[in-house]
Amino acid sequence: MANDTVLVSPAAAIVQADHLSKWYGQVSGLNDVTVAIPPGITGLLGPNGAGKSTFMKLMTGQLKPSQGSIRVLGTSLWDTPEAFARIGFCPEQDAFYDRMTGLEWVTALVRLNGLGDAESRAAAHRAIEMVDLADAAGKKIGAYSKGMRQRIKLAQALVHDPEMLILDEPLTGMDPLQRRKTIRLVKDWARRGRHVIVSSHILHEIEAMTSNILLITNGRILAEGNVHQIRDLIDTHPHTVHIRASNPRALAEHLMKDEGVTKLSFEDGALVIETRQPDAFYQRLTELAASGDAGAIAEVTSPDDNLQAVFKYLVRQ
Amino acid sequence: MSTSDLTRPTAPSLLGAARRVFELSFGEMLWSRRTIFMALVVGGPVLLAVIFRVVESFGMPAMRVNGAPVAGASIFGVMIWMLYLRFIVPVLGVFYGTALMADEVEDKTLTYLFTRPIPRGAVLLGKYLAYLACTSLVVLPSVMLSYFLVVPFGQVASTFTSLLLDLAILGLGLAVYGAVFAYVGARLKRPLVSGLIFAFGWEQLALALPGYLRQFTVAHYLQALVPHALPSDSALSLIQGLFRQTPGATVAVSWLAVFLIGFLWLAMRTVSRREYVLEQ
Repeated sequence: MANDTVLVSPAAAIVQADHLSKWYGQVSGLNDVTVAIPPGITGLLGPNGAGKSTFMKLMTGQLKPSQGSIRVLGTSLWDTPEAFARIGFCPEQDAFYDRMTGLEWVTALVRLNGLGDAESRAAAHRAIEMVDLADAAGKKIGAYSKGMRQRIKLAQALVHDPEMLILDEPLTGMDPLQRRKTIRLVKDWARRGRHVIVSSHILHEIEAMTSNILLITNGRILAEGNVHQIRDLIDTHPHTVHIRASNPRALAEHLMKDEGVTKLSFEDGALVIETRQPDAFYQRLTELAASGDAGAIAEVTSPDDNLQAVFKYLVRQ
Repeated sequence: MSTSDLTRPTAPSLLGAARRVFELSFGEMLWSRRTIFMALVVGGPVLLAVIFRVVESFGMPAMRVNGAPVAGASIFGVMIWMLYLRFIVPVLGVFYGTALMADEVEDKTLTYLFTRPIPRGAVLLGKYLAYLACTSLVVLPSVMLSYFLVVPFGQVASTFTSLLLDLAILGLGLAVYGAVFAYVGARLKRPLVSGLIFAFGWEQLALALPGYLRQFTVAHYLQALVPHALPSDSALSLIQGLFRQTPGATVAVSWLAVFLIGFLWLAMRTVSRREYVLEQ
């Protein structure tokens, strides 16, 4: 749908993919993606196996494009590893040097950025504090809980104070409090004029961080832009509305005359309408509620107002 | 350029990065499961040396050739050649060298090294140096222990220089085999099998055959440096003895240096260009 839509000029883009494809043998991991990701926070949203991790691995130069190209901050990371001085990456996999303590590990990794011993240790302390792990810094990573392991991964990504963070499913395994803190950390990071690309298969996680999203499935960018633009994309397609009313059958009689209504059913006492003209439909519904001709209307909800529904709808297409 | 660019440290050079990867990898490598295997392998000669010492302490010669007792220094020479150079060094080279990158791939920790501002070749080089330090730290003390158990105290003064030479040759052997198998590990999908075939198939065969094939083995050049008389009590050794053409020490060291640098460079180049797909 929006496979070739570019919402930001290539010059301003922090990530620029041009007809990017990646195949694993006969299996397609990413298929002809052209996209320009704008500065700030961008959420990469898609179900497991959609191609999010492949896209992130291509961004971070861990994989080489089978076709097309990808540039991050104007550079191809596949052949320019020096650019990692400006980029922090938090991978999805739960893999560590388990015998090391969190502090040792983060210190050792930031030393690879060229920092001296004392600077590395100080930077590691700062990063570990940022992810709220100071109390466990001296513990071996092998003894960390899943949530702590996620946070120490995040610490190694931001320890060198990069301009851009690329985070692959960073909230997995965190408890609600940790999630909230991590989300705040990501937003604060972006407020300082930096960029974050964060992936998740959980919509509300992404929604909590940004309204600028890329929907990805089956190796394709399905849609891109902010949540409202995504909503606009589906407004031309059937839009489902649940209505709880005192007399649903009377209401149904009125609404079935409406031009845009394509489907009408009853579920658990609620009237479920599918319409291709949501704006006109809501106007008519407001009129009916005001007139009282179809009885009282107690509740109107649309699963399509939730990003989850948008996503499900687009994935179905 | 942002403010943070102005204060951002310069990415380390190849050697600087390799040193930092070495420091990160050394402890992990030394305390890995593979070290138990290595301890068992290098423990064998020490155990033999202990048995030798116990037998000798009862006034019995531990080894006789044609009825004549063999001196401790000669037995130590046989151990260096047969156990260390022909078996332990290649085995450690195969098991550690082929695993330098494979371990990081299997443990999925390679990502952390490949997303830092360092040349990918530095990862291989740093891990290779960690292998060299790790194996040297285990093998060389084992050799010294065997030496002091086998060689009578009275012969130490006259044979100590030879021990130092043995240690240097073993170090060189670990370095060259490590480089060869680091390349095999970086290049091939089943490096362990290929490495074992090279060390215990190809090298043995090429050394036994007349002609120039032996020049394509590491063992050919290493054996030219061994100060001890080579054992000739097996059929294979006898066949090898018939066709032996040992190069001079300078030639041998030069070729070993070429192997070392050449294969290490090839391994680094391969790692820099190869795409590692980590399984999810």
